[in-house]
Amino acid sequence: MFLLLPKFQARSIELCPTCTLTSLQEAIQIANPGDEIIIQAGLYNESNIIVDKKLKIRGVGMPIFDAQLEGEIMTVTADSVHIEGLEFRNAGRSHIKDLAAVRIQRRDYFTISNNRFINSFFGIYIENGKHGLIEGNVLTGKAINEMSAGNAIHCWYAEDLVIRHNICRHHRDGIYLEFVNNSVISDNLSEHNIRYGLHFMFSNDDSYTCNVFSNNGAGVAVMFSKRIQMLENRFEYNWGRAAYGLLLKEIYDAEIQYNIFQHNTIGILLEGSTRLNYKYNVFKRNGWAVQMSGGCLDNVFTQNNFLTNTLDLVVNSRVNNNTFDGNFWSEYTGYDLDKDGQGDVPHRPVKLYSYVLTQSPESIVLLRSFFIDLLNFSEKVSPVFTPENVLDNQPLIQAII
Amino acid sequence: MLDMKKLLYSLGILVFTACTPQPQAIEYGADYCDNCRMTIVDQKHAAELVTTKGRAYKFDAIECMVDYIQQSDKVDFALILVNDFTQSSQLVDAKECQFLISPNIPSPMGGFLSAFHSAEEAKRWQAEKEGKLYNWEELQAYLSQ
Repeated sequence: MFLLLPKFQARSIELCPTCTLTSLQEAIQIANPGDEIIIQAGLYNESNIIVDKKLKIRGVGMPIFDAQLEGEIMTVTADSVHIEGLEFRNAGRSHIKDLAAVRIQRRDYFTISNNRFINSFFGIYIENGKHGLIEGNVLTGKAINEMSAGNAIHCWYAEDLVIRHNICRHHRDGIYLEFVNNSVISDNLSEHNIRYGLHFMFSNDDSYTCNVFSNNGAGVAVMFSKRIQMLENRFEYNWGRAAYGLLLKEIYDAEIQYNIFQHNTIGILLEGSTRLNYKYNVFKRNGWAVQMSGGCLDNVFTQNNFLTNTLDLVVNSRVNNNTFDGNFWSEYTGYDLDKDGQGDVPHRPVKLYSYVLTQSPESIVLLRSFFIDLLNFSEKVSPVFTPENVLDNQPLIQAII
Repeated sequence: MLDMKKLLYSLGILVFTACTPQPQAIEYGADYCDNCRMTIVDQKHAAELVTTKGRAYKFDAIECMVDYIQQSDKVDFALILVNDFTQSSQLVDAKECQFLISPNIPSPMGGFLSAFHSAEEAKRWQAEKEGKLYNWEELQAYLSQ
């Protein structure tokens, strides 16, 4: 008789505080692969739940799973698991292991959507996974310092992930990717994290669009990755000695376009990054808009707006074949007699004062002094110390709207 | 006369200790790596260089320190120190250590590199976690590829 039933007749198993079934682990045990488990609202003090079958686990009315600081809440050890509409609270933490509220352990085709994570160490931990969707989750940690905090969304060795519409706050890093390729990270808000809003390393062919990274302790740092797209993001309010709107270290072949960098100590810091195109970005009210150091080649800055930054550009590398043509610089004091929208004299964006500053940061006290203005002016008239070839040959007269 | 002698002697000691390079304690969570600028938080993998003039460079991972040494044109490092993996935040001389590169022991900058002061500990961890052991010179040769 059983054999006549179609295999894909999925059952629906219900879980609620007053039902016969009150434990998710039990529900998982009696379920068949392909079933759906519906969890009604309530408080479930359960943790160390192992999801070892293909299941759709869905909450109705945001049921709460409270681990009471003991262990991980859900560990997924099967493909095609769907987790939706649950609240995960107080997952355990440890100095030795990276404990997460929800962990995908070497599995693919997972969906983690519309859940809430409160006071986790690591929120969502993808440990070797492919073809996953992490969407619409809200992750709020209680991180106090870097040493005792985990990351909101942490992915290690993954392929083809879509991470979108999540909110990550008060963790160590909002979104952390290491060895994650061919993925899309979009429409996330990552703010008020202790270290980075976004941090990725050794992760190639990824695209980051329409995210907001603001008020993170160290801004955003990305390293050792190739063929990256960063479009229409906002990097803002990252202040501090080691905070960067965007730190690009050893990044190759990237498109950085239509982003807004505002109110950061340093908008973009480039180190050893090559063949990046920066177009249509806005650098507004940063300390430094762009700092370039350590062997950066073939970077092209064009059609960007540099608006009222304290210092627009400092270039520290010995080799420079980067181009800065066709940008709008609010510091430009040239003229446009032939009315072609481009300044008639080239603009030199690097001020001598910015070199002085990088050598001795204490000289910031001289920032608005007449002496420094004189210094910058004389350098502009006849450049001696600043690099000859760092100039904008077609500086725009009007900012790009 | 005696006072003068004592004074000169103590001054001499003062000058001597001021010139001898000392390791500086790494403030985890506050100091940042002089190579990659990430904050140093991992107490098992941090490293430090001290030049002959006493200036200390701190690193969040041993691979960052090796990268820094290979990229810098300075050669006069008085002290090259790494954290012993088995005793976190204890800086030991790199030249006396065995280094394990194991795919099962991650380190902050993706080098999977850890240091062990005791050769037995190094072998024990290698047996448990797989990987290859190097001494300081071999490690530098391997990482410069």
